[in-house]
Amino acid sequence: MDVQSIAMTVNGREYEFSVGTRFGQVPPEETLVETLRRRLELTGAKQSCSEGACGCCTVILNGDAVPSCMMLTVDADGADILTIEGLEDPATGQLDPIQQAFIDAAAFQCGYCTPGIIMALKALLNKNPAPTEKEVDEALSGNYCRCVSHYHVFDAVRDLIGAGKEGE
Amino acid sequence: MSNYNVEYTDLQYIGKYMPRKDARDIVTGKCIFLDDFSVPGQLYGRSLRSPHAHARILSINTDKAKALKGVRAVLTDSDLPENWLLGWPPSKRPLDSHLRFVGDCVAYVAADTVEIADEALDLIEVEYEVLPAVFDGIAAARPDAEQLYPGQFAGNEIPGGFPPFQRQGLYWHLQRGDTEAGFAESEYIIEEFMEYNKMPTPLAAEPPQVIIRWDGGLDFHCWATSQGSGVFRQLGSFIIPGSNLVVETFNVGGSFGNKHAMTAQFICGAALSMATKRPVKVAMTKTEQLSAYEMRLGSQMKMKIGVGKDGYLKAVKGFWTVDAGAIGNTTQGQIGVGLGEAQIIGGKCVNWDIDTALMATNRIPAGIARGYGGMELNACLSLLYCRAMEAANIDPVEFYKKNYISAGDRFVWRDGLLWKACDVNYVPAIQAAADKFGWKDAWKGWGKPSWVSPDGKRARGAGCAILGNADLGEDNNECIVRISPDIVGDSCHVVLHMDVAECGQGQRSSLCKMVAEILNVPYENVSTTSPGQGNHNPFALGLCGSRGTITYGRPVCMACEDLRDQLFKLAEPKLEVPPDTMELVNFGVRSKHMPERFVAWKHLIPEMLSLVGYGKHVETFGIPACLVFFLEAEVDLETGQTQILRVLSGSDVGKVIDPKSLESQFHGGIGAATMDSALFEETILDKQTGRNLAFNLIEYKWRPFNMFPKFDTSILETPIPSFQFKAMGVGEITGAGSAPAVMQAIYNATGVHVTEYPATPKVILKALGKI
Ligand code: FES
Ligand code: FES
Repeated sequence: MDVQSIAMTVNGREYEFSVGTRFGQVPPEETLVETLRRRLELTGAKQSCSEGACGCCTVILNGDAVPSCMMLTVDADGADILTIEGLEDPATGQLDPIQQAFIDAAAFQCGYCTPGIIMALKALLNKNPAPTEKEVDEALSGNYCRCVSHYHVFDAVRDLIGAGKEGE
Repeated sequence: MSNYNVEYTDLQYIGKYMPRKDARDIVTGKCIFLDDFSVPGQLYGRSLRSPHAHARILSINTDKAKALKGVRAVLTDSDLPENWLLGWPPSKRPLDSHLRFVGDCVAYVAADTVEIADEALDLIEVEYEVLPAVFDGIAAARPDAEQLYPGQFAGNEIPGGFPPFQRQGLYWHLQRGDTEAGFAESEYIIEEFMEYNKMPTPLAAEPPQVIIRWDGGLDFHCWATSQGSGVFRQLGSFIIPGSNLVVETFNVGGSFGNKHAMTAQFICGAALSMATKRPVKVAMTKTEQLSAYEMRLGSQMKMKIGVGKDGYLKAVKGFWTVDAGAIGNTTQGQIGVGLGEAQIIGGKCVNWDIDTALMATNRIPAGIARGYGGMELNACLSLLYCRAMEAANIDPVEFYKKNYISAGDRFVWRDGLLWKACDVNYVPAIQAAADKFGWKDAWKGWGKPSWVSPDGKRARGAGCAILGNADLGEDNNECIVRISPDIVGDSCHVVLHMDVAECGQGQRSSLCKMVAEILNVPYENVSTTSPGQGNHNPFALGLCGSRGTITYGRPVCMACEDLRDQLFKLAEPKLEVPPDTMELVNFGVRSKHMPERFVAWKHLIPEMLSLVGYGKHVETFGIPACLVFFLEAEVDLETGQTQILRVLSGSDVGKVIDPKSLESQFHGGIGAATMDSALFEETILDKQTGRNLAFNLIEYKWRPFNMFPKFDTSILETPIPSFQFKAMGVGEITGAGSAPAVMQAIYNATGVHVTEYPATPKVILKALGKI
């Protein structure tokens, strides 16, 4: 790979990294989740499976929800990235409506999966503010939650978009 | 005990939803889990793991690994002290030359980065002598079976009983009454074999991890993703005798009982930290969690069950073989609990004879998992009860109502002692849940579908199971509640000094609600100290099982009442009214009859100091809980695929502390290798190599968002004599009966007994005679 340095925007801030294997450089094999968590100390995205299966590391990259463990940092050159830390209003501290809905519905237990679920939902609602129940299900189908917070997540989504699964 | 008898009515916080104290941190990503934390100078520890299910190391060469730049220590068997032993009884060297499962530890490496440590593992050269392996408990008991612990455990049987649980005598054989007399009274007798043996895993989202810092001597400072630092300290000091552990925990990314002691990770970190004199982080990967971390235990049983004409259980006699995998991780305790839970379901039966054997095999070691032995026992026993009910043609709901334990019934709990159930009666809760589910319409009789599609290709069946345990009062716990007057103004903050982990239950916040309620202060003014113990919190074992509500709630309430009593006494000279006519209000004490007489707490407490209340809970086992679980399943008779359509989980919890947290506990019951261990969750054992083929989140099947059935709850609140708020916990058992309920529903849908867990399409088609 011929990239010497890369740049990306994370939560509205611009970062430039030098690529290489020397101390402090981003090695070509470093994944985006590692860069976010270790270098930028944005530890909201969790690294749980490291193989794209659990969604705990989900961030929004150029508008799409992506598992950041499945992307090399060098391939994110030029990307605009939003992480869970970038959701609340930096000036007022006001929570994103999804975050508030999650609190109101107690849509988490241990909370390890929660940042990933919120970011997957955020990407969905950005593109489609009134998704059907099935579209919500599908958008979250890559998010592992072992505590079974799913029903309260559906409650939160229902509060947000006025629709949801019946009968829970 | 308080001097004043206050009934807590007219509650401000208890019973109402209050967002958890950590809610904002969780949804903003600021909440700290262990992996988000590091200790200055920390190294990274990794383990070289055995590729063989059973082998001996003939030679091992670590020279190349040691020479790699960035490697700080490479340890093998001979580097560890002789008395460091895993298991109960202490038996297995953490690094061993005799390897007993795929994933067993061969060597530890500490390095500057995980990547360097992993590279070093590849450089260790090992020559193995591969030995024959044994993969199930009954096979391990055969006289010609390969011996895993020669000279230690004859016939692969790990000694029964666990002394910390059974101080008055070890216990593993339930014997009560006269089973022969019971069978003589029985109209219907069945005798069958059943197994639940695929060892699924609770599989918390956050893999197990610790950071261990050696502080000299045998002192270790541990940061751990543990749901119970008390358990961590206790078991840690078993495996490093004489050690003294200070443990700090963080928000835990799911545990389900499964991330407690993490003994293997602790010992790896401890050994490497001693060798390098640096803190060492040991974090399992997801693949390691799935292939070398504690699974559910294996359960095989042959049982003879007698039921009378009257529908009462008359006698239960048989043998329960428990597969501990390669290491007995205090599994004896789970056997004691399982035996206890059998009697809670069959509470009216007085004739019992269930013998047990705990077997070592070459499988991944079993550990603690939500349901704690009772779930694995019941996955078998509940289905055998069903066979007896079917023989007697009894509706299971009627059977449960008749036989479930109620006030005054006796049972032997895991301490081996005979206990008497307190004033409980779960018949109304069972009936309310059955009615809400619509059981009468859904259940058409044994082996009869509730619905068949017009083309005859799909059939539905309903199933229900019941489960209970009596762990609600288990463990001694203590706490301090401290009123700390604010420096400015007359308000105060109240701090609960107690080791309370947060692994999803919201118990830290629920306890703050109790403090706020009794001291009549805003919830916002109450906080809890950081979880952990060793030098910063009083003793609490951990939020094990369902006992947090009572065993943590009682000390907290006692400490608050202690504070109230002290405040009343301090206020007496100022208010000049008797203490029993005082009340706590607005950070002060006031006369109920002359409200103008008021004194702020701040003026009762010496300047800058605090007022401290103390509370404790002492272990007792007389309160059995109950959980009844209903579901409807649809089986595709052509493909063998089963879908769960709807679920209802019902209980009587005494009093709801927090409705949403409680509901979450019910929902969580179907996670953590419970319901789905009847459908698709299993470790898939390659019998040639002993490897778990389901070693990542793609191969290990789990239920995604778009597959969740409708879920309903039925919750009664009949006050029970537990503690001040008359509540109890149920989280341990919310899903523990779900697997046999699935099997029952499949039988009712198909009319064919499916006896193999999990009932995958292949298993169902085989049972239907289609393949
Ligand atoms: S950690 Fe990235 S998907 Fe699991
Ligand atoms: S809340 Fe624990 S994994 Fe989802």
